[in-house]
Amino acid sequence: MDPRNEHIQAITRRHFFQKGALGLGAAALASMTPMPAEAAALPSSGIGGLPTLPHFAPKAKRAIYLFMAGAPCQMDLFDYKPQMNEWYDKDLPDSVRKGQRLTTMTSGQKRFPIAPSKFKFTPHGENGTMISELLPHTAKMVDDIAIIKSLHTEAINHDPAITYICTGNQLPGRPSLGSWLSYGLGSMNANLPTFVVMTPNWSGRQQAQALYNRLWGAGFLPSKHSAVTLRKSGDPILFLSNPDGIDGSLRRRMLDSVAKINQETYRLSGDPETQSRISQYEMAFRMQSSVPDLVNLGQETQATLDMYGPDATKPGTFAASCLLARRMVERDVRFVQIFHRGWDQHGNVARDLPAQTKDIDQPAWALIQDLKMRGMLDDTLVVWGGEFGRTIYSQGGLSHENYGRDHHPRCFTIWMAGGGIKPGIVHGETDDFSYNIVKDPVHIADMNATILHCLGINHRKLSVPFQGLDVRLTGVEERSPVKEILI
Amino acid sequence: MTSLQMRGAVLVAVALCAQAAQAEDASKVDFNRDIRHLLADRCYACHGPDEKHREGGVRFDLAESALAKADSGETPIVPGKPDESELIARLISTDEDVRMPPPDSNKKLSAEEIELFRKWIEQGANFQTHWSFVVPEKKEAPSVDFPGWDKTEIDHFLGARLKQEGLQPKTEANKRTLIRRVTFTLTGLPPTPEEVENFLKDDSANAYEKVVDRLLASPHYGEHMARYWLDAARYGDTHGLHLDNYREMWMYRDWVIKAFNDNKPYDVFTTEQLAGDLLPNASWDQQVASGFNRCNVTTNEGGSIAAEVKMRNVNDRVVTTGTIFMGLTMECTRCHDHKYDPLKQKDFYSMYAFFNSIDGGAMDGNSKNHPPFVYSKQAIDEMAELDGKIRQKQEEIKTTLAKIEYQDPGPEVDHPEIKAEEVVWIEDSLPSKASPSGDYNWVGKPEPVFSGEKSSKRTVTGNDQVFFTGSDQPLSVFKGDVLFGYVYLDPKNPPKEIMFQWNDGDWEQRAYWGQDLIPYGTNNQSKHRLGDLPETGKWVRLEVPVEKVKLKEGAKINGWAFTQFDGTVYWDKAGIVTKHGVQPQFKSLTAWSDFVAKHPELIIPENKQVAGILKKPADKRNEQDAQMLRDYFLEFVYTESQETMKKLRADLKSMTDKRESVKKDSPTTLVYKEAAKPVTANILERGEYDHPGEEVTRQVPSFLPPMTEEMPKDRLGLAMWLLDPNHPLTARVAVNRFWQQAFGVGLVKTSEDFGAQGSVPTHPQLLDNLAVEFRESGWDMKALMKRLVMTAAYRQSSDLSPELAKRDPENRLLARGPRFRLDAEMLRDQALAVGGLLVDEIGGPSVKPPQPDGLWKAVGYSGSNTVQFKPDQGHEKIHRRTLYTFIKRTALAPQMSTFDAPDRESCTVRRERTNTPLQALLLLNDPQYVEAAVSMAKRAMDEGGADPLSKIDFLTALAVLNPKNEVQRKELESLYYDSLSYFQQHPEDAGKLIGKDETPAELAAWAIVCNTILNLDEVVTQR
Repeated sequence: MDPRNEHIQAITRRHFFQKGALGLGAAALASMTPMPAEAAALPSSGIGGLPTLPHFAPKAKRAIYLFMAGAPCQMDLFDYKPQMNEWYDKDLPDSVRKGQRLTTMTSGQKRFPIAPSKFKFTPHGENGTMISELLPHTAKMVDDIAIIKSLHTEAINHDPAITYICTGNQLPGRPSLGSWLSYGLGSMNANLPTFVVMTPNWSGRQQAQALYNRLWGAGFLPSKHSAVTLRKSGDPILFLSNPDGIDGSLRRRMLDSVAKINQETYRLSGDPETQSRISQYEMAFRMQSSVPDLVNLGQETQATLDMYGPDATKPGTFAASCLLARRMVERDVRFVQIFHRGWDQHGNVARDLPAQTKDIDQPAWALIQDLKMRGMLDDTLVVWGGEFGRTIYSQGGLSHENYGRDHHPRCFTIWMAGGGIKPGIVHGETDDFSYNIVKDPVHIADMNATILHCLGINHRKLSVPFQGLDVRLTGVEERSPVKEILI
Repeated sequence: MTSLQMRGAVLVAVALCAQAAQAEDASKVDFNRDIRHLLADRCYACHGPDEKHREGGVRFDLAESALAKADSGETPIVPGKPDESELIARLISTDEDVRMPPPDSNKKLSAEEIELFRKWIEQGANFQTHWSFVVPEKKEAPSVDFPGWDKTEIDHFLGARLKQEGLQPKTEANKRTLIRRVTFTLTGLPPTPEEVENFLKDDSANAYEKVVDRLLASPHYGEHMARYWLDAARYGDTHGLHLDNYREMWMYRDWVIKAFNDNKPYDVFTTEQLAGDLLPNASWDQQVASGFNRCNVTTNEGGSIAAEVKMRNVNDRVVTTGTIFMGLTMECTRCHDHKYDPLKQKDFYSMYAFFNSIDGGAMDGNSKNHPPFVYSKQAIDEMAELDGKIRQKQEEIKTTLAKIEYQDPGPEVDHPEIKAEEVVWIEDSLPSKASPSGDYNWVGKPEPVFSGEKSSKRTVTGNDQVFFTGSDQPLSVFKGDVLFGYVYLDPKNPPKEIMFQWNDGDWEQRAYWGQDLIPYGTNNQSKHRLGDLPETGKWVRLEVPVEKVKLKEGAKINGWAFTQFDGTVYWDKAGIVTKHGVQPQFKSLTAWSDFVAKHPELIIPENKQVAGILKKPADKRNEQDAQMLRDYFLEFVYTESQETMKKLRADLKSMTDKRESVKKDSPTTLVYKEAAKPVTANILERGEYDHPGEEVTRQVPSFLPPMTEEMPKDRLGLAMWLLDPNHPLTARVAVNRFWQQAFGVGLVKTSEDFGAQGSVPTHPQLLDNLAVEFRESGWDMKALMKRLVMTAAYRQSSDLSPELAKRDPENRLLARGPRFRLDAEMLRDQALAVGGLLVDEIGGPSVKPPQPDGLWKAVGYSGSNTVQFKPDQGHEKIHRRTLYTFIKRTALAPQMSTFDAPDRESCTVRRERTNTPLQALLLLNDPQYVEAAVSMAKRAMDEGGADPLSKIDFLTALAVLNPKNEVQRKELESLYYDSLSYFQQHPEDAGKLIGKDETPAELAAWAIVCNTILNLDEVVTQR
C-alpha cells in the first residue's frame, strides 16, 4: 500500500477512535479499517451479501465475462461445418429452416444462399477440437476451456436479445447478472466496487450495435448493485479525482470536517443513515487511492504485457481491459464484464470478422494463461460469448471471398473456463447447417444458471419479489445448470 | 368541546374497535394482516388462482376450496379445529414428501408463522376478501391524547396506533427545520434565507399554514410534483431502445407541470392522460395529455418484426396503467393467470384491447415524432395564419389570370431559348429531410464563410468523409447542367485531395481534385479527376458538368458527400446550375403548346394534369383542357404577364416556404389517437405475439366492478371506470403515492403492488378514509398535500433514539418526523439554489448541463443522433432545474442514476434510496457541484459580512443549518483557516479551483468550506 495513504488511514482511524465515544458505531469503524488487497483468505460470502448465500461451497469466487456484443459468427469461429462447402450458393433447405421466423432484414430475400465459412479450421488440443484460423491463440487453449456449441435464445434482434441474456428478460427493468451477484454475494473488497464494466474499442465496422446502461444496471434492486463503469479516458471511475486545486491533504482535511460535523449530527439526531454516510465518505476517499493503484499497469512485468499483446498498454483496448480485469479479480472484485462491440457482421465478414477476432483472441488467451499462472483460474470463472448466433445463409451478396450473415437465435457458441468448469470439452451439437441444435441444447438461462452455480448460487433460490412475482435471473421456466460441463 | 368533538369522542371506542379488528389487536389473528400474505407467498404458486399450476385440487385464495375436501380426500382447513386440518398437519410434518411448502420450492414457514395459522383456524378460519379489492369506506377516527395531535383526522389515526404500540411522538420540529422540510416536500427546493427569516419572525398561530399556502401557490410546486409523476409515466427524451434517438415529448412534461400548478382534479388529470384524445372536441392540451400512453419505450431496430414490437408497446401501456392507477401487477398475467391475485390472462388481453388501436405504426422510424403527434400551439396558429394567406394569394393569382385578356399573336413571333438557373441546395444547413452522417462542424465568422452564416470546417488526418442522403427535395438533372460547390483550402494546412460525390440511388458519381489518395471508386468509371487542387487561402467555385460524372438526364440527386484527404477545408454553398423546370417564355399559346408537347420535361413536375393534356393531340382537347392550358400558359410562360406573375409567385413561395420552415422547425409532441377501426385483440398464448388464441373484447378485470352502461368501451370509458366511486383501488393507490412523497414511505410500502404479494397497509382505515375523502373533495390534489403536511406527524422532529431506530427503522408508525436522503433532482437543485445559480423558468425543451465526456459514446449506436453528448452553453440552460435535464434512457446522466433516479424505461412509482461511496465522489467532485460551491463562496464574500464567523453564519443560513450548532461552527471556522493557509502557500491551486488566475486565497478557502457544507449529512437529507 502507498505509504502516504497508509499514513492518512492511520490518522483517520486514530481520529475516529478518539471520537468513538461520541457514538461512532462498531460497524462504521470496521468498514473504515483498510481491507488489504491480499486478504484472499476472506470467505466468499462478502460484505453486504445475503446471509443465506452462498447456497453451497462455490468453485468460483469471482467471474469475468467477455461479452461479444453484436453476435459473433459461430460457423466462422468454432462451429466447424465442412459439409457446407458443397452447398455453396445453394438454398437453405426448407427442411432445415422449418418455417421459423427470420428478421425483417432477410425475410424479404428471394433466396437464402448458403455461405460456407471461408476460413480454415485445424484440429487442436488433446481431442483435436476444430478451431478457425481466426483464433490462433484461442486454439492453443482448447484444453483449458469448455466450448458450448448449443446455446440458444428466443430473441432475434439485438436490443431485446442482449437485454435478455444480461438481465433474464427481453424488456428493460430487470437486474443484470452482475447486480444479482452483488446483491446476493456482496463485496470482497471494501475499497473497490463489486461489479465493474468496461466498454473497450473495437476494430470492425464502426457502425456498431448500441449498449445500454440497463445491461449492467440494477433494475429494481437498489442502484448500489449496478456496475461501476471503468472508463477509457479521464477519471477511471466517474468523479474519482479531486477538482483541480484540491490536493489529497486538503481533501483529507475537508473529509475530517465532514466526518466531525456528521458525527455531531448523529449525536443529536441518532439516524443510523448518518453513520453509514460517514463510512461511505471514507470509502470514497480510499477509492481515490485504490482505483488509481488498480489501473496502474506500470506494476506489470514486461513478460505479462507481452503476453496480452501490443495493445495491452493502450487505454481503451480489449487487451488493456483484459489485463485490468485480471488486476481487479486479483483484488477480489466480484464480477468484471467487458463489452466488446462490433460483432454484427451483416456484410463484409471478410474484412470485419478478422479485425474483431484480432482484437480479442490474444488478450482472451493471455487472460486465461495469466490467471492460470497465478493460480487464480481455479476460483475465477471466465465466460466468452455474444447474445445470439448468425445464419449460415448469406445476407446480401455472396461470393467465395465475402458474405454477410443475419441474426440467428437457434444456436450459437460460447466458451467458459476456470472455477467450476470442466476444461477441454465440447458440449452440444448443431446440424450440418449450424442452424438447429441436434444435441444438448443450452438455453441462455441455463447458461446463467451455470454461472450462478459456479459461484455457489442455486439460481432457483436467488429471487426477489417484484410486482407480484419472485423474480429470478433465470426467469419462470424450468432451467438448470449444465451439469456436463461442471467439475 | 364542540358538538363535533363530542361526537368524535363518543365514537372513538367504536372506531378503535374497527381499526383494531383490521390491524391493531395483536391477540386476534387477522386474515388480511396476518394470513393472506403467507398463503400468497408460500402457497398460491401451486394452490392459487392459476388453474394451470394447481396441485391436489386445493386453492387457498377461495374459502370454498380451502374448507372443502381436496383430491386426497382430506380437508385442508376445518374451522376451529387446527388438529383436524390437513394444512396444519402438512406444515408440521417431518416427512419431506408430505411437508408443505415442498423443500424444492425454497419457501419455508417459521414456527411463529405456523402458530399464526393454528390460531387463525382455532379462531374460526375467517377468510376475507383481499383488503384492497373491497371498496373503501370511511369510518370515524379514534381519539388521541397526545398534545397537538387532536387537530387532524390523520393524527388521530396515527396517534391512536402509536398509543397502542406504546410509543410517544416527538415534539414539533424547530421552525427552521420545519420550513426546510415542507419547502422540499412541496417544491423540491430549499427555502431562501429570507423565507426562513420571515417564518421565524412570524409568531401568528397560522404562520406555518401561511408557508404551506405560499408553497402550494408557487409554480415550483408543479415542477416538483410533476417529477414524481414523470417517473411513473416513464417520460424520457429518447426512444429508449436500440438507436435511442431523440424523441420530442417535452410539451407533455410541461402539461403535467401545469396540471399540478393549476391543481387539476385527479379525475380530470387521469382522464385527460388516458383518453384526452377521445374527449369531445379534444383541446390541444387534452391531446397533449394523451401523450401519457406514448411515453413507452419504442424501437426501430433493423430486422424487428412490427407485430412483436407492437405487442411490446401495447403491453407496456397495459402494465403502466395497471401499476399507476390500480397498483396491480398486470405484467404477471401476460403469459398465464396470476399466481397470487384473481387476475386472469384473459383480463390482461381484455385490457390490451383498449390500447392496441392506435392510429400509427409500431416502429418509431428513429424519428423524433413518430405519428400520431401534434405541433406546438404556436406552430399550429402560425401555420393556420399562413394557410389563410396562402389561400388568399392563390385566389389573387386566379383572379389576376382571369383578368388577362389574351389574344394569340400567332406562332411566328416566338424564338424560345431556355436559360439555366442556379439552384442552391446546401447553404448553412442540409436540404429537407436529409439524413446526415459525420460531423459537419458548421462554423461562423470570423472563420472563412463564403455566403450565408456558416461554412463547414473540417480538419482531418487521412481520409475523412461527411455525407447525407435521403433528401425529399432532390436535385433533378437536365442535359448540360453543372454541379457546383465552394471550397476554401487553408494555406497553412492544405488537403492533398478533395472529392464531391453524389447519390442518385447509388454513390458511384465522384469528382476529385488533387492527388488520388481517397480509396473510393475506380478511375474513369466511378471517379473522375477534374484537375489540381484549387488555389488556397481564397474561396473557389468548383464546377462539375453532369456529363463528367456520367449523371444522366432525369437523374435525381438525393445525397452529397464531401471527402477530403488531410488538411483543413471549409465547404460552403453547393447546388446545381440547371435547366430543369425552367420555363421558356412565349407570346403565343399555340407556339408554346407545340413546343412544349415535344419537351414535356419543361412542364413544372407538379403540374401533371397539364402534362397529360399536352400528350393529347390538339384536336382531342376539350374546353376544360384548353382553359387549363391557357391558365398555365398565362401563369408561367406568357412573356407579357411574367413580371406580375413572377411577383405573385414569389409572394406565394415565400409564404409556402415560411410554412414549410414553421413545420420543420417547430416542436412537436407525441399524442394518442384512436384508429378509425378498433383492432381486434386475442389472448396471446404464453405471451407470444405469433401465438394468438381466443379473441377478446375490451373488458376490465373480471374480479373488479364491471363497467356500467354509461361507460363507453374505450379508454374514456376505462378512465370513467377507474374513477367510479365503486372502484376499490384508484383513490387508495393515488393517495398512497402522495403519502409516500410526504413521508418517504407509503402507508402501503409497495406502492406499485396492492395485490396479495404487496405489503399490507400500516394504517388501513386511515388509508381508506383518505381515499374516500380525496374522491369526495373533488380529487383535490393540493388539498390532499396540504392535509398531509399540516399533520402533527409530519411536523414532528425527525430525531430518533437507538431504540426507535431499531423498533421502527423505516418509520412506518411515524413516532418521529420523516427523514431520508434527498432525491437526485433535489440535491442538484439545492446546490444550484444555494449557489444562487438556479434559473427560475418553467418548461421548454430539455437541456444538457455538462457531464463527463464519452458517457453516451461508450454505449450509443454510432448512427444514433444521441451518440455524441454536446453540453449546452450558457447559464440559462445549464443551471435549470434538474427536472429539465435531457433524459437519454439508455445512458442516464450520472447525477441522476448515482442517486437512484430511474432510467425511465418503465413505470416506476417508488425509488430506492441508497447510500454509496460513488455518491460521495459525485457530490465532492462533480464540476457542477464544485461550481455551486464556488458560487456559494462568492456570495459569502460579497454578502456574508466582514469576519469569517459572520460568513459562516451566512452560509449556515443559506444551507438552512442550525446556527447554534457550535461543533459545526467551530469546525467550519477551523476548516476555513486551514484551507486559507493551504491556498496562501499554494496560490496556483486557488486559481485552478476557482478557474481564474490571481484568485484570492480567501475565496478558494470559502469554496472548500462550501464544498464541505454541500456534503454534510444534514444538507443531503430531508429531515
